[in-house]
Amino acid sequence: MFSTKKTLVAATVASLFAGSAMAMSGGSDNSGAAGEKIDGKYAANFEQIIKDANGEYLDSKVIEAILGKDAAYGREGLAGKLDPANPYSFEVDDSIDGGNHGNAQCKVPLAFTEVHDSVKANYTNDSDFVARGFGTPIAESAVQAKWNITVDGDGRGLPDPSVGMTVEEGAKVYVQYCGMCHGEFGEGAKGYLPLAVEESLIASSFDEPAPMKTVGNYWPYAVTFFDYIRRTMPFWTPNAPYIGDAGYLGITGYIMQSNYIPLDAEGTELEDDTFYTSELLMKNNKFMKNQGNFFCDHRPVIHNARCMENCADEQVGDGKGNIHNYKQARLLPDGTPQYNVPQRMHEDPPGVGHAGM
Amino acid sequence: MTDKIVEKVAVQTEESRNQGRRAFLKGSAAVAGGVMFTKAASAAEGAGFDPKKAVAPYAGKEEITEVLQDGAARKSLGFGVRKYPYGMPSPFEKEVQRRTLEWLTPDSMASITMTPLQSLHGIITPNGLHFERFHGGVPTINPEEHRLVIHGLVERPLIFTMDDLKRFPSVSRIHFVECPANGAMEWKGVQLNSVQWTHGMMSCVEYTGVRLSDLLKEAGIKPEGKWLIPEGADAAALTRSIPMEIAMDDCFVAYAQNGEALRREQGYPIRLVVPGCEANMWIKYLRRIQVTDTPAQHREETSKYTELMPDGTAQRFSWYMEPNSVITYPSPDFKMEGPGKYYIRGLAWSGRGKVKHVDVSFDGGKNWKEAHFTSPVLDKAWTRFEVEWEWDGSEAFLMSRVTDETGYVQPPMPQMRQLEGTNNVYHRTAMVTWRVHAWENGKSGGMIENVQY
Ligand code: HEC
Repeated sequence: MFSTKKTLVAATVASLFAGSAMAMSGGSDNSGAAGEKIDGKYAANFEQIIKDANGEYLDSKVIEAILGKDAAYGREGLAGKLDPANPYSFEVDDSIDGGNHGNAQCKVPLAFTEVHDSVKANYTNDSDFVARGFGTPIAESAVQAKWNITVDGDGRGLPDPSVGMTVEEGAKVYVQYCGMCHGEFGEGAKGYLPLAVEESLIASSFDEPAPMKTVGNYWPYAVTFFDYIRRTMPFWTPNAPYIGDAGYLGITGYIMQSNYIPLDAEGTELEDDTFYTSELLMKNNKFMKNQGNFFCDHRPVIHNARCMENCADEQVGDGKGNIHNYKQARLLPDGTPQYNVPQRMHEDPPGVGHAGM
Repeated sequence: MTDKIVEKVAVQTEESRNQGRRAFLKGSAAVAGGVMFTKAASAAEGAGFDPKKAVAPYAGKEEITEVLQDGAARKSLGFGVRKYPYGMPSPFEKEVQRRTLEWLTPDSMASITMTPLQSLHGIITPNGLHFERFHGGVPTINPEEHRLVIHGLVERPLIFTMDDLKRFPSVSRIHFVECPANGAMEWKGVQLNSVQWTHGMMSCVEYTGVRLSDLLKEAGIKPEGKWLIPEGADAAALTRSIPMEIAMDDCFVAYAQNGEALRREQGYPIRLVVPGCEANMWIKYLRRIQVTDTPAQHREETSKYTELMPDGTAQRFSWYMEPNSVITYPSPDFKMEGPGKYYIRGLAWSGRGKVKHVDVSFDGGKNWKEAHFTSPVLDKAWTRFEVEWEWDGSEAFLMSRVTDETGYVQPPMPQMRQLEGTNNVYHRTAMVTWRVHAWENGKSGGMIENVQY
């Protein structure tokens, strides 16, 4: 359904390579570095290049010198950052299609040199540090049970597999405590978020309403769905003892079922009488529909030069040089006119938001 | 790099200009002759202050001849001390308020208000006007009972009282704090005509607190500890995963904001400060920091605060707030007063460091004029810029563009839309455009309109 990270990366490996080849022959400012390249693509001496440029690691020329001209921009630039070896990548090796979720880590890119320098000074190189002793020691066990109810993406912190409830019972708990806000079938109510809406995440045009993102089509983890509802819901009385671990698991089973999340590659679905436990939750966790479609921050992918006069058409107005082609505010979603026009026109007395200098 | 920027502000703030001049005069007096400032030299230049020339623009303007009368304030005493043990703004400023849009969220406990940027000056947001974002309402926490625990992959799990934290070496820094959804309503086009709505999900205050690196080292963080999971003590028990690099760079645990204790809306008694990064990471009501080997993948970094791209993939862990800028005057809350001189003012900021240049265009991005800074230029803080503009009364398209010390140049909206589509909620940091309607002898009413390319 989606172009996954893997396909995105594969599709651009060729163009990335072409890009760096061009930069080498094109003789960029730092072509002397062409000899040493990471993976044959990126300047290995990027730290020196950044230092020589006064630390301006996001300057367009510096980026071109390190990545090669083509790989620095646009969709190629974006996809190029999925490669953890790229000095501008936030990705960590094991996060790219490393199993169902990998560890899904991200990092501060190596090219952000000032961050790494600061970490060295504050931490890694601070061999003199000795505690001041202003805190009080506490046993790890004293933090668990009540304060630490975290369940992480690997399922650490889940209740014992003996605890649970059938999906049908879970549905009843859900209808009693959640349905009034999120809809009996997770369709949403009164403006509160839906929990089960099947919708493509790709809108056909820029002007269409943005796709609804819910558990089925968007959430990458089932285990942290459980973490979230146990931590914060029902909204008025979070972490409710009258729901308890069994109840929160039952609700999770019901929401997984409503979103058609299977238990295995064969597509085995949850039945109403399935006794839902943390073990089944771990199985669902492997088959969340949108997993594998998340990647680390790629920004910035836009590296403009600072133009001062007669700038190129792409940079002017509508991106084609026309400064009279613009959009104006429409009515608000509730049908009322856009904000405070009469006040701004001084037809009405100063009111909402109008406050003079 | 840093020194250059500081020097630039020094030259450009009014106060330091005078200081510089004084220093210069002193210096030149010491030099024999002091040629520059002798009468002969200035006469030769034909310069010198000319009062007649100075007031020339007032020629032809109608003069007020009616005798001025004393106002009520002159005729009776004002109020005495301690009428307001905690001072309040003048009642004439009552419209300067945080505001929200009811249709944004279904209730006020998981909602947001925006700071009235159009009414602010300088770079500091008063505490009462700081924007709000809650996921579970505002708790009123007794600091005597509040504790901070650091545990997980550490040698010695520790618990701290608020007094313990204040014993540590302190740090005070001015930083902006910005919700990554700032500008979110403008992905598909413009919706609202006020800088309060387009950019008000941010504020800039002075925080005081303890370096997070000091607290983590205090607990003897283990080498395999790569991530922090900070958590709030409120109903939302908000969690985010923060990589060790960012935690050790410049984060701190703040107990004060603009010289007084944090406000409840901003996390009283303590909050995490993650300079330059998404405000959602700045956990309020901080009670627990768990050191782990992997990120938690919690709701606030999966379902929310991830960015949907046009091909259906999504970006996650978009920590840093991109450099951004906006013209606050004139902006849609104001009206033009006719052709003439204007001092365009605005704010620029960068999550990656200091602002280096701000340029302003009056013609939709074709030509640019560099603004100067009227505030200190600080790391990951608002910077106030200003530039003179002689408006001839014709239609104009005002834009501001920031360049930060990393060399990043703020892009125009069509370029950002091309790459990121319009289904994303977060990090809409491209330039905005204010359309100044043609004056037409006042027929336009001086309208300033938010438009989008
Ligand atoms: C009073 C109304 C209300 C009730 C009852 C309620 N919720 Fe919620 N729910 C909310 C609100 C408000 C939010 C958004 C909170 C925020 O913005 O942080 C939310 C968010 C959620 C989300 C996150 C959705 C997403 O896509 O990020 C889930 C999941 C959820 N609720 C599940 C539940 C469950 C399960 C229950 C019952 C145990 C429940 N809720 C009861 C109001 C409610």
